Amino acid sequence: MTQPVIEASNVVKYLGSGPGRVAALRGVSLSLSGGELVLLMGPSGSGKTTLLSVLGCMLTPTSGTVRLLGQATSGVPPEKLADLRRRHVGFIFQSYHLFPTLTVVENVRLALEMGGERAWRAHDKAAAALTTVGLAHKITAFPSHLSSGEQQRVAIARAIVGNTAAVLADEPTAALDSANGHAIMSLLSRIAKDPSRTVLVVTHDPRVLPFADRIVQIEDGRLIETPQAPQKLLGT
Amino acid sequence: MEIGRFTPIVLTLASRNLFHDRVRLIATLVGIIFSVVLFTVQLGLFLGFERMVTTMIDHAQADLWIAPAETKSFEATALLDGRERFRALAVPGVQEVTPAIIGFTYWRKPDGKSLTPIFLIGSQPGPAGLQPWNLIEGTVDDLAAPQAVAVDRSYFDRLGVSRLGDYAEIGDKKARVAAVTKGIRSFTTTPYVFTSIDRARAYIGAPPSSATYFLVRTSPGANVGEVRQRLAAALPNLEVITPDEFSRRSRSYWLFGTGAGAALFGSAVLGIIVGTVIVAQTLYSSTKDHLSEFATLRAMGSSRRYLYKVILWQALLSAVIGFTIAAGVGLALARGSSETALPIVMTPTLILILFVLTVGMSVASAMSAIVVVTKVDPVTVLAR
Repeated sequence: MTQPVIEASNVVKYLGSGPGRVAALRGVSLSLSGGELVLLMGPSGSGKTTLLSVLGCMLTPTSGTVRLLGQATSGVPPEKLADLRRRHVGFIFQSYHLFPTLTVVENVRLALEMGGERAWRAHDKAAAALTTVGLAHKITAFPSHLSSGEQQRVAIARAIVGNTAAVLADEPTAALDSANGHAIMSLLSRIAKDPSRTVLVVTHDPRVLPFADRIVQIEDGRLIETPQAPQKLLGT
Repeated sequence: MEIGRFTPIVLTLASRNLFHDRVRLIATLVGIIFSVVLFTVQLGLFLGFERMVTTMIDHAQADLWIAPAETKSFEATALLDGRERFRALAVPGVQEVTPAIIGFTYWRKPDGKSLTPIFLIGSQPGPAGLQPWNLIEGTVDDLAAPQAVAVDRSYFDRLGVSRLGDYAEIGDKKARVAAVTKGIRSFTTTPYVFTSIDRARAYIGAPPSSATYFLVRTSPGANVGEVRQRLAAALPNLEVITPDEFSRRSRSYWLFGTGAGAALFGSAVLGIIVGTVIVAQTLYSSTKDHLSEFATLRAMGSSRRYLYKVILWQALLSAVIGFTIAAGVGLALARGSSETALPIVMTPTLILILFVLTVGMSVASAMSAIVVVTKVDPVTVLAR
């Protein structure tokens, strides 16, 4: 059996301090393996974003363990966590968070060059990643000249260009129309076919359910068992 | 070939951030230019002043100067007895002792009515003497003629003369313009007038054979330090100093004894402080505006060092652009002031110092912005 890409075990995470301290995660255990697309669903305030942050090494758990490719993140200093994120995690954000002053290819290059990749080599790899997401013809365009769907494709290219083992997407279709949302999920589903890569999608959007290999639901900081297959959730 | 393909993205990001907001860029550049130009002018004036203070000492080719005791600067006007010169000549290792006399007096313009103060310099001809240089009309030998004086062309208006051969009076004695120099200006704004030593004594009413300085040339191969010691022993009531020491002493007196140097330095430092504050403020606000981008970089796994690099590149680019413009303005001011009473001097060393200073100022200014990105939280990206 292959090692999970991300494995969370009994993760507790408190946010804030003093009287305002809140338990955002209360003993979450979750394993994400290569080759699967997992949906993380739940109501607002249920702990989705906190879990994404903990799994993506932006936050460390208050207790419990998170292992990224076997490496525990607890007690790891912020700079080392950032290095783990850069090497192993690709983020896709709801609002894309592209750099408006950089062209499409430069936005993607950024993910490689901040890790020390040479400019020309990063350029070639970025161009290849943009070809994968179907934007080879737009590499010199600025984000403001792209549609919402195209901007999200650039964000996906940026997330996968470094061959990251985990792609974590935060509401990637929330700002897109139905056709673009479908195209983006198709792309993520294709990326998840790679056995060395896992894709976790945080979403409220029921339109994305058919793309899931597995659905995880969270409520009040706890995961709820979902024995049904995605198709069952859809009633098909 | 595509240049951008080989340009590091950190540089591209920094320059685009910089040029994206033109108003802020202009504010940054104005801050740098204002600061650097002010610093250039003050330091250039300082250098110009420093050169002018020692111009006579620098142009005399003396190995040693014999001066009245406690002489603070070249402009001191106490007199030496002519007999001291012969004592000096008797010292082993001394080849030549040239007397020179200086003093403030008045020049009556050719119209016979108006007077203007002048600084008279009389010297016996010789390599170690205080002869005029940069002669554009006449020769040093022409000063041997009766009533002959040399003046600088830039003082023609002040002296009421317009050409070679014009007559005026010094004290109540006739003076004729026999030679004209270019660029020999006094930092006191009082025009220099050169003449022979005998005529200078007569003009200022000094006793025959008296002098303000004796300029010593040592014999070939003689050790200047040893000759100096022997001269000091032979002339215990006088000072025997090297040209370097005399230059330093004059500079120190005029620049720091009078407060002129402190004023120039004070203004220069003020310029740097104001420039640093302006640049820091604009970089800080630029960073605040791009905070979500820095948070995104951090979320993507960027090290803090990489974030600092973006800000420092912005600061460095601002410094280079600002310095280039400021140095151009400084050079233009230096050129424009070259014929004035107090020229601004720009030397390659000064330009290098200015560049280092500009970069240092911009990097220091980046600190406030760096503090901001140090605190940036990558999780905030997920909330938006």
